[in-house]
This record gives sequence, C-alpha cells and structure tokens, in this order.
Amino acid sequence: MNDKLIDAHGLSKSYSGTPALRGLDLAVPRGSICGFLGRNGAGKTTTLKLLLGMLRPDAGEIRLFGEAVDAEASSIAARRRIGFVSEDKELYPFMSVGQTIRFTRAFFPGWRRDLEEKYLELFQLPLGKAVRKLSKGMRTQLMLLLAMARGAELLMMDEPTSGLDPAMTEDILRALADLAASGGTTIFFSSHQLAEVEQICDRVCIIDEGQAVIDGELDELKSQYRRILLTFDGEPPNALAGLAGIDHLRQRGRTASLLAHGNVDAMVDRVRELKPSSIEVRSVSLKELFLDHVRGE
Amino acid sequence: MLWLKAWLEVRWRFVFLVGSILVVWLAPLWINATGVQPGVAASRQWMGLQLGSVLLYIFTAIYLAGSGINSQTMYAATTGFHGSMFFTLSLPVSRRRLLFVRTGLGALLTCILVVIMAGYILFLRPEATSAMQALVYMTRVIVCTMAVYALSVLLACVLDEMWQFMVACFFWIFVFMLQSKIEVVSRVSSLRGMSLNCYPITAPMPWTPVVASLVLTGVLLWISVLVVQRKEY
Repeated sequence: MNDKLIDAHGLSKSYSGTPALRGLDLAVPRGSICGFLGRNGAGKTTTLKLLLGMLRPDAGEIRLFGEAVDAEASSIAARRRIGFVSEDKELYPFMSVGQTIRFTRAFFPGWRRDLEEKYLELFQLPLGKAVRKLSKGMRTQLMLLLAMARGAELLMMDEPTSGLDPAMTEDILRALADLAASGGTTIFFSSHQLAEVEQICDRVCIIDEGQAVIDGELDELKSQYRRILLTFDGEPPNALAGLAGIDHLRQRGRTASLLAHGNVDAMVDRVRELKPSSIEVRSVSLKELFLDHVRGE
Repeated sequence: MLWLKAWLEVRWRFVFLVGSILVVWLAPLWINATGVQPGVAASRQWMGLQLGSVLLYIFTAIYLAGSGINSQTMYAATTGFHGSMFFTLSLPVSRRRLLFVRTGLGALLTCILVVIMAGYILFLRPEATSAMQALVYMTRVIVCTMAVYALSVLLACVLDEMWQFMVACFFWIFVFMLQSKIEVVSRVSSLRGMSLNCYPITAPMPWTPVVASLVLTGVLLWISVLVVQRKEY
C-alpha cells in the first residue's frame, strides 16, 4: 500500500519560455479528498495534464500509486486506475449516453455496474439521449458517472462544478463525499469555489505562480494559522515586518493585520512588546488563507 | 470499442461522400449515357470521368482523414475548444493505438469509395478491359490516393481540421502546377499516378509514381506516429 497516490517533486513546465510551473511539490495521500486551489493561470490544469501524461514536465518527477510515471507505458498503467473529469466536460457528441457508457466500460475491467446503475438513477441520465443534446450539468454528471463507475482508485477533476447551479453542485459534492467515504476513493480536484472545497475536502494545496504556497490537512492548517489584529496609538512600528512566523502583514492607518502560523502564543507575546493598544486573535477561514497567499500583498 | 467510436465519428462523412458521388457524379453520367447519341455521350462521359475522378479521389482522402486523434469537429476547431480530446487521452490507451484505429478506419473507407469510383469508371469505359488491366488501375489509384490520405493524416495531427483541409488542398494544387513544370515531380507525382489522362487504363503499372506514393505514405504515417507520441495536448 502506498501512502501517497500522487507524489510529485520539483515539477516545472514552461510554454514557449513562459513558466507555468516552477518546481511544484505535491503529495496526495490515499483516501483523502484534496482541493487544488489557485488563481486563473496558477498552473492547476497544467499540473493535472502532467499527471495524466498529456504534457511532459521540463523537470521534476511524478509518481502515481508509488510508481514513477516517466513513459507512456507507465502512464497507461496509471490511467487504468484513474478517473478524470476535464474542465470543458466534453464527451463524444456523436454518441448517446448509453453508447458512451458502453464505450468507456470496455477499457476498465473493474467497471462497477452497481455504481453505474446507482449514478444513472441519481442523476436521471437518459440512456438514449445524444451527448450533444445534454446540458452542461448533465454532461458533468455523465463524466462523473464514467469516472466513478470505472472503479478508479484516484479521481482527478478539473473544476468539476464550474457552470453548475447550486442544487446540482450540491448533488455532485454529496456524491463525491459518499464515494470517498464508502469506497475509499482518493479525490483530487481543482476548484475556484472555496466554499465547496471547505465543505468536502480534508486536505488542500494552494498554488500560486506555479509553486505550492500551502499544502496540508485543512483542519491542521486552520489550527496552525491565526489572524492577529493590532491597533496602535500611532503608526504601526516597522519592527512588525521583521517578526518571524508572520506569513503576511497588512497595514492600514493605525491598524495592522498579521497572518501568523506556528506558535501563535509566542508570536502574540512578541507583538505585545511593540505596545499595541489592542490585540485580537482570530481563527482564519480557507478564503483568508487563500487570499493572503495568492494576492502577494 | 475504439473501432466503433472511429466509425461513429466518421460515418456521416462517409455517407456524405457516398451521396455526393451518387448525386453529383455517377447519376448524371448514367442519365447522360442513356439519353444522348451513343458516341457523343461516351465521349462526354469519358471527359467527365477523367476530370472528375482525380478530384474526387483527393477530396475523399482529405475529408476522411478527418481530425486525427483530436476528435475535433469543424465547430470546435474554429472556436478553440478541444472537443473530446482530453477524455480520449485520459483513457488507458496508447496514442499509437488511437492513431492506428482512426487512421485505419479512414483508410479502409477511403479504399471502399475509391474502389466504387474506379469500378464505375471501368463499368462505363467504352472499350473492353481485361481483369488484369482493371486490377492494375484499381491498385495504382488506391496506392496513390493513400499518399494523399497520409498527408492529411499528418496535417490533422498538427493542425485543426479547418486548416488541415485547406493546407492539404493547396498542397495538391501546388503539386499539380509543379508537375507540369518540373520533370522529377511529374514522374513521381501521386496525382499523375491516379490519373486516366496521364496513364490510360490499358497502360502497364506506372511503377515510379506508385512506388513513390507507397514510400511517401509510409514516411508520412511514420512521422504522424512520432508527432502524436511527442505532442503535448
């Protein structure tokens, strides 16, 4: 048993000299639901394509299921165990729903008929309907069915809920959480929806400009990070910027906001020495963590 | 299942080509042959066949070469979407196999249509044709058409379908113009190899264009495999 289903080190990729990934390290443990967050153009889709062998890295190493993926044969072996939902949710428009399911089933000996029937019923997908006539939501549901019923150990999804209404998003998130809980499937998905990541993920990786800026268990991250709000009688002292353990500092007038991690109590003690008129320590949301790390303030 | 997918993907192109050949070319010639003075009709038919056959062989090959493994529709190509390519590439199948199936089926359907068209030419031919002459004609037409097909396969591996179609058409127009100016091109040209005008049905096998087309087909398909295996999507 491998602890990490995805284990990538130092991944770099450039497009015509423009770097998309700069030494990305990524680890997704077995059984986790990992949200992959980043701004547009941060390198999320590039990472997924590298993992699936659609792109080749300029540098770095990818291991999936404990095996190095450095050639087509190893990539094919890994893809037998992976379900993928692409960002554009495009399937074959010339096939019907039923034909698409039969087509995909043929490539996966471990196809789960029980899951196929379960999700057909849950999503109410009409077998005879042409894929080109499905709404985007239904195409997403069909792609999820194809990814989940193949008995994949790892589900990779590129913004699976983009363009869906809240009800359908909720259905899909529930199905994913259920799959991870009941089948032990590892789920790795990119998203811009921080609320849905917070809802179902137990792990997050935030990337910015091609590098991981945060990677870890969501609860652990939330417990590690604290927002320290300070008010001073005059201008906040310059010494604030030099404090160790501060990830981000924002100043506005007489107030300063620090995002701190690690030993926050020790940090608060050090801050007290700067004589603020008030100190407030708050827990942080995923949104705050995300914004503080990708805005570059 | 890849063969089924390839067939579903290309079937309407095939039907369109069959319809086009029947309606635009074969039917009028048949009607013409029964309604006009025999000598005049035969002569007109023969001119039409000579002019039209090469164009139809080329169009058939280019059109059926389709979109490589990209599964792109004309619409998708012009709008920048990638169609179902990412879904296909996420399947546990080698790119070589994807290309082989898509190209193999397209080649098979191209051959079927070429045999129908060439067979019709033999059927309408004023003079008697021996079995060997018919076989030689069919063989050279198929081999030379495959060179046209292989070029389109290669182009489809690197270009969107709309551009593949246009570049292939311009390339063969260029070859057509060049073959009347340059002796070497004229000798090896696949267009001449499939033409009734250059080599009548009674002519022996024109080995130079046939061998050149075979080599060209092999080289182009080999390059296509390399391109598809190394391409980043």
